[in-house]
Order: sequence, then structure tokens, then C-alpha cells
Amino acid sequence: MKKVMGLTAALGVVMFIMAGCNSGSEKEEAKTETATTTEATAPEQAAPALNDAQIASIAVTANQIDVDYGKIALEKSQNPEIRKFAETMIKDHSDIINQATALATKLNVTPEDNSTTQDLLKGQKDMNEKFAGLTGDAFDKAYAQNEAAYHDAVVNAVKTVLIPNTQNAELKSLIESVVPLLDHHLQMAKDLAAKFQ
Amino acid sequence: MVRWQNMKKTMKKLIESVIVFAGVIAILMSCNGNADTVKNTGPQRDTVIIKLMAFNPDTLSVNVGDTIVWINQDIVAHDISHFPDRAWHSDTLNPKDVFVKVIDDSSSYFCSIHPTMRGLVTLKK
Repeated sequence: MKKVMGLTAALGVVMFIMAGCNSGSEKEEAKTETATTTEATAPEQAAPALNDAQIASIAVTANQIDVDYGKIALEKSQNPEIRKFAETMIKDHSDIINQATALATKLNVTPEDNSTTQDLLKGQKDMNEKFAGLTGDAFDKAYAQNEAAYHDAVVNAVKTVLIPNTQNAELKSLIESVVPLLDHHLQMAKDLAAKFQ
Repeated sequence: MVRWQNMKKTMKKLIESVIVFAGVIAILMSCNGNADTVKNTGPQRDTVIIKLMAFNPDTLSVNVGDTIVWINQDIVAHDISHFPDRAWHSDTLNPKDVFVKVIDDSSSYFCSIHPTMRGLVTLKK
């Protein structure tokens, strides 16, 4: 029960952080406040027990979302640094998707849709709407800030939710091997966002 | 008297055998010494493994003319580029790709795709 409560709290934090990505400069405050609030209400929330098929779905979806953000950046931005960063995100996250898909096929695991995947897609829809109304420096700034916030949330989710709950050793190993890359992306995104303050 | 002469001949042969054996050993030891000397002075080959977003080892000390082989064992593509101006650089190294370079000078290098990945090659004095 304690483990389930911990998982619920972690997922709640992650989801709230992702929602906070949409609120731009207010996200750091929201992150702090939410951690406390979510932990306090966690026992009353439904406990999403994730299996490997659901974790595979979350992993593929999270990577695909950042590929999609990268493609939007290449369509809308003329900034060389934004474009280079977007190209790296598209290449790296596509490589991870390919490896995750190949492993899922090998393990005969079919990615299973779940509430976390749906929350991720909802966050993407909201962000796409925000991006649609922005051009030039405003878009570049929003894209860079979202990349920092998104990777922060994903790194947290991978470390606190996905890795601890993954049962298959090969799938767990693949997810663990992605952490240094995500940490690196997070630092790159923070450096990029700092140039648009 | 005859027995004494036979014994003397046997002793002489024994001493000669010992001298020849010692000579052969000396020559063999000498050969081994030369082999070691040649091995130590020729160009060397070092390997850097790229894994988990890092160069391992991230610092190498080599002689001019030595070769470094970078092997990408990571899950994403990387490259090897002179820092900071990419005066020399590899092509993009996809997972399992290899880059080989003969070293002619000390150099800092990085992955231009993931710029916080850094490495260093120094020259032995």
C-alpha cells in the first residue's frame, strides 16, 4: 500500500509538472506548490499500477511528443540554435523509439494505452495550440522553455515511476540507459532557454 | 689410465655442453630484450568507448603517431570534433560506428551533437 501511495504521489507530481509546462515562467512556483499538495491528497487518488506494456506505451509516447515538438520548431523557427537543438531532439528521440519498439517486438509486448499516455497527449495538444499562436522570438522562447520543462518532467517520471515499476530486465536496462541522455538534453534545453530570458 | 682418459673426455664434453647451453640462453634472453624494446617504441593504439553520454576514458596521454579508436557503444549518434572550432572532426557516428585518428598533436575534443560531452588527448613528455 505504501508503495502504491508513493507511486501515485510521484505520478501526480509528474503530471502536474507537465501541466505546469504550459504556464511558462510560473512553472517553478507551481512545481513546488504542487509537490506538497499532491502528496497530501495522494491517498484519495486512484493508484495507477503500471505494467510493462503500459510503461512501453508511455516511453514511446513521451519520445514521440518531443520528436513532434522538434518538427514544429523546424517549421516555425529560423534561429540556428533552435533548429540545431530541434534536429538533435528529433534524431535522439527517434533512435530511442526505434530501440524501444524493437525491444517490445522482441519481448512480444504490445504497448498498452493508459491514463498517463493520455495525459501526455493532452499536454501535447495544449502546447501545440500555444505554439500555433506564436512566431519569431516569441516562439523560440516558448519552445526552449517548454523543452527544459518537458525534459525536467520526463527525467523525473523515468527515475521515479518508470524504472522502479518496470519488471522485464531488458526493458528496465533500456530505460535506465536513456537517463544520461535525458539529463544531457535537460541541460542543453536549460542552456538554450537561458539565451531567451 | 684408459679409464682416467675416458673420464676426462666425458668431463670435457659436459663442460662444452654447459657452455653451449649457457650461450643459447644468453642469445634467447638477448632476443627477448630486443623484442620488448621494439614493442615499446612503435606506434600504440588506444581505444575510447562512447557510452552513456561519456567518453571512456575521457583523457588519454599518447605519443605523436599513436592511433586512437573511438567506438560508439551508446544508444544514440555522436561525433568526435576538435574543441571548439571542429578543425578536425569525424562523420556522425551511429551506434556501433568507429572513428580512427592518428594523433599529431594534443587536442581537446567534444561531441558537437551533445556539446557537454568532452574529452582530452595530451602528448607524453
